[in-house]
Amino acid sequence: MPHRIALHKHGSIKLNRRDWHVRSLLGAAAIGIQGTMPLWLRAAADAGAKQDEKVLVVVQLTGGNDGLNTVVPFREDAYYRARPKLALPADRLLKLDDQFGLHPAMTGLRDLVDKGRFSIVHGVGYPTPNRSHFESMDVWHSCQQKSRREREGWIGRWAASLGMKASGEDSPAIHFGQEVQPLALAHRRLAIPSIDSIERFRLRVDLPTASQEEASNSETAGEEDLVGFLEASTQTALRASARMSEAFARDTDVNDFPSHPFGQKLKAIARLIAVGATTRVYYVTLDGFDTHSQQPAAHEGLLRQWSEGVSALVRQMEAIGQADRVLVMSFSEFGRRVAENASEGTDHGAAAPMFFAGASLRQLHLGQTPSLEALDDGDLKYQVDFRSVYAGVLEGWLGTESPMVLGGEYSPTELFATS
Amino acid sequence: MRTNGDLDPLAWKPEQLWEPWQASDEQPWDRRRIAHWLRRVSFGGSAEDIAEATRLGFEKSVERWCGHVDGKNSGKALDSEGNQTGDRQSDQMTRSVRASEKTLSQSAWWLHRMRVTGEPFREKMTLFWHGHFATSADKVKDGTLMFDQNQLLREHAIGSFPAMVHQIAKDPAMLIYLDSATNRKAHANENFARELMELFCLGEGHYSEADVQELARCFTGWEIRRGRFRFNPYQHDQQPKRLLGSETIQSGEEAIDHILEQQRVEYFLVRKWVDFFICDQTEWTDDQLEPLATQLRQDQLSMQPTLRRIVTSRLMMHPWCEGRKIRSPVDLTMGFLKAIDAMASWEWIAQQVREVGQGLFEPPNVEGWEGGRSWINSATLLGRANLIEGLVTDPRTRIDGQPLASLLESRSARSDSLMQSLLDSFVPRALHTKLLSRFPLESTPDHSAVQRVCQWATHPVFQLQ
Repeated sequence: MPHRIALHKHGSIKLNRRDWHVRSLLGAAAIGIQGTMPLWLRAAADAGAKQDEKVLVVVQLTGGNDGLNTVVPFREDAYYRARPKLALPADRLLKLDDQFGLHPAMTGLRDLVDKGRFSIVHGVGYPTPNRSHFESMDVWHSCQQKSRREREGWIGRWAASLGMKASGEDSPAIHFGQEVQPLALAHRRLAIPSIDSIERFRLRVDLPTASQEEASNSETAGEEDLVGFLEASTQTALRASARMSEAFARDTDVNDFPSHPFGQKLKAIARLIAVGATTRVYYVTLDGFDTHSQQPAAHEGLLRQWSEGVSALVRQMEAIGQADRVLVMSFSEFGRRVAENASEGTDHGAAAPMFFAGASLRQLHLGQTPSLEALDDGDLKYQVDFRSVYAGVLEGWLGTESPMVLGGEYSPTELFATS
Repeated sequence: MRTNGDLDPLAWKPEQLWEPWQASDEQPWDRRRIAHWLRRVSFGGSAEDIAEATRLGFEKSVERWCGHVDGKNSGKALDSEGNQTGDRQSDQMTRSVRASEKTLSQSAWWLHRMRVTGEPFREKMTLFWHGHFATSADKVKDGTLMFDQNQLLREHAIGSFPAMVHQIAKDPAMLIYLDSATNRKAHANENFARELMELFCLGEGHYSEADVQELARCFTGWEIRRGRFRFNPYQHDQQPKRLLGSETIQSGEEAIDHILEQQRVEYFLVRKWVDFFICDQTEWTDDQLEPLATQLRQDQLSMQPTLRRIVTSRLMMHPWCEGRKIRSPVDLTMGFLKAIDAMASWEWIAQQVREVGQGLFEPPNVEGWEGGRSWINSATLLGRANLIEGLVTDPRTRIDGQPLASLLESRSARSDSLMQSLLDSFVPRALHTKLLSRFPLESTPDHSAVQRVCQWATHPVFQLQ
């Protein structure tokens, strides 16, 4: 089982007592680590080559984002007919061209359009859409539509497929947020860290050095075994905690982020990128898109946070010359019904756009816009399978063959400008 | 009698899993088994609880911990010893916690209740139902309604499932949470209808999208006005509805009854209960669950007999079960305090369990807490260790009025017995060696008893019950 070795390789490094004194390592803002850096941190700092690899930031818009009021087809009468109260008038939109306009709260992302750093993939979904949040989110996370208790996600599978090449690497993926870790990151043999806040991500317990070494060397039971799972997770936690302390002890130039929690999560990611972390995928969520009632104010606030945060990340990456290696992908588990409901809201729907920011993107509009007239039970019909978009990201950005990760062959969406 | 197959309950026949357990010479009702059982049916137990259970024997212990079917008085105020009381001061306090509308105060009230109640099984089931009928104060924005819902869940926790569903379907907090405070015939809101089938009664795959839409129409006219349920006949869609194979359903109440008649309900419930009490790392098959499901249906979804059968089963009492569940944050904290009979700052704990993923009155989403491995990630593991560290060093964490930290530091027989109690009650026996080989019981000059307990909290097995 090659992937299991990934975890245990770390465990097998011989650390001497001075190298690995956990309390000082994790102590308040301490990075000095009593003079000596642990092996894997040192290796990370030296891993110059790794730091050129491309980075993906996944933004999950949780709750079902109303795609139609995000990218508005303002030429379509059907849009205005279906939404007497919720439709956004053309003159309020941030126009993209003579057909589409962005929601007025999305000024930050609108600014990226002219730099070729923003793309919309229209009409993304999957066959026989499920309108339950959890089931549909599971489909997006696992890329599978059949089994009930799916325990692996596409990013988890991708991360496991890397093996762990050098012991000094950071975790291939990190989730920032207080919510339960999204299934997308789960894998049977690999624990991906979730980090809720830097302050809380610091162990206050004084661990004896010897026991740490033992912990590293301890025989881990089968990966299906609960104790084995907990031991692996504990190891990951201690390592990630140390790494975060390091990243936040150093000064970086990426400080200009909105103060809301979503903005601060992106700031933490920016700092890790700026200090040369070798993590390839970062995962954040922005929750609240389940706008069944009183949608306008709620949706506007969410789109503003999203747009402010993502555009700040791209700007800050430009400022430190890293924008070409950072791609932000935003998705939601489904769009919303075309017709508004009676509570000034919208109910669960199906197809919706996905969004990309940063990098060098091929063109503004990708995919195909679904018809507002030919609906599937009141919902937009999908034109692009989300797994094709994932395939485009996996092959075109992360440099991985996609069928193994996605559990099937999907023709990759061409996302990037060829240079 | 039973030999080889005995070691692996997953190889048993379904009937064997749920046979009543009986103490025997090979399987005594001893401290180890009692501690295991109390960790599951209650929030753990102290040395005193274990002694009491030993004295009572198994059958009487079941009565002592899992009795009390009648939930009428279940929400009454408790005094600090956990006795139900007509005591005015306690009643007054409950009323003021309700009126405070503060999630943190209400969570603290509930945690205290879990700690001292004489009906811990009911309290544990109340927590289960809070995850099942998940409703968050964050969206409801009315603490009184949240508190009332909590009392509703407590009252019905081990009673009749149909009665509970009918009540919850008209519960103001629930309907507000699922955007169903208004429900007009022109635009039926599908949110509550969907969750009633998907999350509350049947599970995904046992209804169609058309059923969701039809069911939503049954609930048109159901409204919440000024914090109360009312039926508005003018907004009720009178057209015929087709729901789950029936064409004669008109009202929301009839629809609920029809859903509860579906054969999936009993499987859906017993699967969740077995996951909750026994082990959520196994895919229980319908065959394995069949005896429980059949009984629950025969009892017309009256829950207590089936629940009791689960927690007194051979499977439940089998060593296979020991240490096979990941503790929820509440289980972790309560189990720790109960093991050493300590009291603590409940508001502080309410805040802490929230930070590691179990904010009471604030479940993460309509699906409630997923439980199992989802409790664990880097942040929550560090958070759990820090939580225990905070609890141990907090001067408000006391035993008989004495701060825990100073008792532990006393280097006396008392300190030793506290450590031993923690080990015996809190840590599954099968995992003792793993824990002690890394962090031995004896404190050394380098590591005081306080530090030692905190180190235990960083160990993987501390997360298991």
